[in-house]
Amino acid sequence: MENIQKLTQAYEQAPWRKQMYMIGVILLILVSAAIVAGIYLNVTARAAAVGREIQEMQVRVYGYHYLSSQAGEGIVPMEELEQRIANLTNQLAMITSYQVMQERVQDLNLEPIDGEHIIYMKVPGYIDRQTTSLAPPPQPVVVNASGIDPQFRESLFEWVAEQVQKTTRYISEARP
Amino acid sequence: MRRFMADQVVPAGRLRRKPPARENPVIPRTANEKAGQILTGWRFNLLGVLFFLAGAMIIIQLVRLQFSPERSEFVSQGDQYSRTLHIFYPPRGDIYDRWGRLLAGSTLVYEVGAQVDNVDNSDTISFALSKVLSAHPEYDYPEYSDEVYSAIHRAEIAGTAYVQLADFVTPEELVQLQDWARNYSNLPDVDYGDAGRPSLDGLVYRPRLQRYYPEDSLGANILGFVNREGTGLFGVEAEFNDLLAGAPQSVWMSLDPYQVAEIPQLKSGSDLVLTIDREIQAAAEEVLKNALDDSGAEGGVILVMDPNTGEMLAIASTPRLNPNEYWNYGNVFTDSTPYNRAVSQDYEPGSVFKVLTMAAALDCGAVTPDTEFVDTGSIQIGGITIRNWDWGAWGPQNMQGCMAHSLNVCLTWIATQIGAGDFYKYMQNFGFGRTSGVDLAGEAPGRLKLPGDTDWFEAELGTNSFGQGIAVTPIQMVMAISSVANGRGEMMMPHVMRSMVRDGYQFTPTPQIIGKPISAETAQTLTEMLSNSLESESSDALVEGYRVAGKTGTAEIATPTGYSTSATNASFVGWGPVRDPQFLVYVWLEKPQSSPWGSIVAAPVFADMVERLVVLMDIPPDDVIQNMADD
Repeated sequence: MENIQKLTQAYEQAPWRKQMYMIGVILLILVSAAIVAGIYLNVTARAAAVGREIQEMQVRVYGYHYLSSQAGEGIVPMEELEQRIANLTNQLAMITSYQVMQERVQDLNLEPIDGEHIIYMKVPGYIDRQTTSLAPPPQPVVVNASGIDPQFRESLFEWVAEQVQKTTRYISEARP
Repeated sequence: MRRFMADQVVPAGRLRRKPPARENPVIPRTANEKAGQILTGWRFNLLGVLFFLAGAMIIIQLVRLQFSPERSEFVSQGDQYSRTLHIFYPPRGDIYDRWGRLLAGSTLVYEVGAQVDNVDNSDTISFALSKVLSAHPEYDYPEYSDEVYSAIHRAEIAGTAYVQLADFVTPEELVQLQDWARNYSNLPDVDYGDAGRPSLDGLVYRPRLQRYYPEDSLGANILGFVNREGTGLFGVEAEFNDLLAGAPQSVWMSLDPYQVAEIPQLKSGSDLVLTIDREIQAAAEEVLKNALDDSGAEGGVILVMDPNTGEMLAIASTPRLNPNEYWNYGNVFTDSTPYNRAVSQDYEPGSVFKVLTMAAALDCGAVTPDTEFVDTGSIQIGGITIRNWDWGAWGPQNMQGCMAHSLNVCLTWIATQIGAGDFYKYMQNFGFGRTSGVDLAGEAPGRLKLPGDTDWFEAELGTNSFGQGIAVTPIQMVMAISSVANGRGEMMMPHVMRSMVRDGYQFTPTPQIIGKPISAETAQTLTEMLSNSLESESSDALVEGYRVAGKTGTAEIATPTGYSTSATNASFVGWGPVRDPQFLVYVWLEKPQSSPWGSIVAAPVFADMVERLVVLMDIPPDDVIQNMADD
């Protein structure tokens, strides 16, 4: 027993070593936690910054601009570009409106032609004026006939004929 | 130098260590020290119990809240502060005429407000806004500056983050405000006293689109307008409001930057291409204006239709409102005047209705063009006596003569030959007594009294045959007469929407045939009769170079005390060219002063309109077509 105690004492770590180990382990845990926390903070901070940036952009889309900043500066969201395009289209329509064009006609000393002064002639291949086309027509919807359930394709006569055939077959099979 | 023996070698650390005491020395403690130790342990225990109880109570409260009835309320309150609701409105669709000219678009306007926390000087803001927006009709009043000032202060007290100060600010006005802001920011840093440094800080703006009509009042009765709330009123704007406006989307936007939500891709409202031709519409409005000036009529309508398809090329109606200034609606439309008389006002059409009576008679075989009728100047029906417009007797007449002289007695006799049952069946087939289905808001159904109705009497058959005692709208008349004018007997549905642009595709519905109240043969026979009638009468409706068919109408106006003898509805319906009808024109003048007769006031208006129409529609004269065909 005494030998065992001696052996244990011989291989037992000194108390100060045990303390050093404990301190080391605790420091390791702390440093690891600090590193993880640092990485986490870094990533989340960047995510938050990007999130805020996105939110600011969104504010520009649906939100408000400060008066001190120029309307055209910086990145212009698509919605605002569409608004500007709509505005320009409207301005173009205003300067080519019927009333404005009539004023221009008067300024140029022109007058509308009447029927008596029109000369009509045959122009082979002339295509009459076509009404406006702002977009292509929709593609024709091709219905795959085979995809339709047969019940929806058969006529009443076909159904009656089939029922008659079924009944006849049933009777013939039932007959001894 | 000090030397150590081998057995004296010890680790360095131990050198600093004190040798352990062989015995723990007994340190005498006083009675007070013992009492303190006991007291300290008791206090620590008490503190531990208190902390434990506090923690336990918090946990219990947390658990209780999770299952309490107020949980949903707390959750909603939390949501309220963690996110905001945004409603995204898609841009409203544009409206074009048949050639692609913009009739209704959008223009940029701004909403101006204040971010209250960032406002430095509310005096400056109120002063600047009242000065810059003084040209704006809505903010041109003396108290506006005070209102702005008090609005900001109210918001500061209430803790409101944002307050709107002006809306519908034009781009020019916004530039002025920006100039003011720039000038204020460049002011030197000196002491400005109690008033503080002038500044427009905190003033913000937001762009948005507002409906705008580049043609002003042109076609206003067809288009309608959009109010401040973005709702379409009257005309196409109301009829197709859902299509034009698109679908607004509500999105809860989180304030948490980690939960940024995507702004939904808004589907714009559909664009509409109308059947209206801007040039023809302008011509119709000008012709109508001239007609009102010349005749002194209270109001009027001119409709131009393609009888082959039912496409409305022009709908001119008085009065007209500039839809860009829709707030003047109450001043323009007084005394319950409808926004568009062509679809919303029913009236007794008078003799233009004889076209349909004759069409029914020819179609059912009650008469032929050569049927003879001896006009004695009066006819009895249902206990009343019907007389001609001139109270005269016109003697023997064929059917063309009856139409050419517009004989009420003859048409009453024809109605009796058809019989009440068939007559009203034809009239129902012509679409009277119900809405035509035209794609314009606010259509009136008119009134067709039928046998069996409590207010129908036998005399109605006679009066209805020449367009009295029946209430119709102009659009119903052109729809019914389109069956005659197109020469096919097919009644076309009048419509103003030619196609719709949605999701990148242009959808063009096929013109709809409402029905076929008469045969093609009847339609052609009647057209020929009416054309000959105009020529035999040397009507003012005739247009040089073009053969047209038509009929005048003069209707007495019903009043609470009977029919007025001084006021009439003068009208004319005509179509052409007879060889290949391409237009149907309907003219109605309400209470003309220069003459009560449609043949005098309405027929020339038709001719004027057609003369412009053939140029605008590139329709060559009949002889040119004949010569080209002969070549």
